[in-house]
Amino acid sequence: MAALLLSTVPMGTSAKQEMDRFWDKNARLSRPVSPHISIYKWSLPMMMSITHRGTGVALSAGVSLFGLAALVLPGDYASYLDLIKSLSLGPALIYSAKFAIAFPVMYHTWNGIRHLAWDLGKGFKIPEVYQTGYIVLALTLLSAAGVASL
Amino acid sequence: MAALVRVGAVCRAGRVFPFSKSLLIRPAAILPQDRSSLPASPGRPASTKASLHWTGERAVSVVLLGLIPAAYMYPGAAMDYSLAAALALHGHWGLGQVLTDYVHGEAKVKLANAGLLALSSLTFAGLCYFNYHDVGICKAVAMLWSL
Repeated sequence: MAALLLSTVPMGTSAKQEMDRFWDKNARLSRPVSPHISIYKWSLPMMMSITHRGTGVALSAGVSLFGLAALVLPGDYASYLDLIKSLSLGPALIYSAKFAIAFPVMYHTWNGIRHLAWDLGKGFKIPEVYQTGYIVLALTLLSAAGVASL
Repeated sequence: MAALVRVGAVCRAGRVFPFSKSLLIRPAAILPQDRSSLPASPGRPASTKASLHWTGERAVSVVLLGLIPAAYMYPGAAMDYSLAAALALHGHWGLGQVLTDYVHGEAKVKLANAGLLALSSLTFAGLCYFNYHDVGICKAVAMLWSL
């Protein structure tokens, strides 16, 4: 076991040093970005992976904007909700807006559970990766539609 | 909690994807005589710190996962502040991973991390301010959803 790990990790270097060495070499040789994204055929797992990151960054941006708005905007929360109410948006638009908020939350939540299963070492076989991917997509659509209708 | 201990155990056994072998060097993989050649840092070796950080990220993720239904069932100040802390920390560590992947060069990394820390601190402060001076996160979601 130790021999296996030592064969992949040069002794006496940290992960950060390894990464720095890798990037220095790439920069020195003017190599293109690797992995070179455009050469890959798009697959479900990779699209779901980048969507997890995308929804995470978007939700984080939403939370930060909300927090910063609380600090700098003059009015209180109820006054801004009244403003939205005064626009008399139709039920279809309200539902769409709620769905647009619920979708990334639900996707990141369900796919987050998928990630935690991977962290436990479960579900790495390729058929399992696809199967759990489809389950996450179905749960996301159903739960986002349900939450938006509340 | 048992699940988390399990996560740590699985990692130490080196059964996680090969990637983690280079990014998350487990203490078990380092022979005693090699420790001296690791970069000097106060307290624990860097590899142990990385391992604890990895486990911490999972712990916060699991806590946040539990907080969502809990906040729906028992809304209140305790949930408001727990959500503020968990959301800010999860976002901070998540965005930190994104920066680690896409930002390179010592100066840029330092700048990006400093900016992220400032953003996360302001986010946490803003959420706490909202919980204290306004309706709080749980009530805010409920009010928005009542539209």
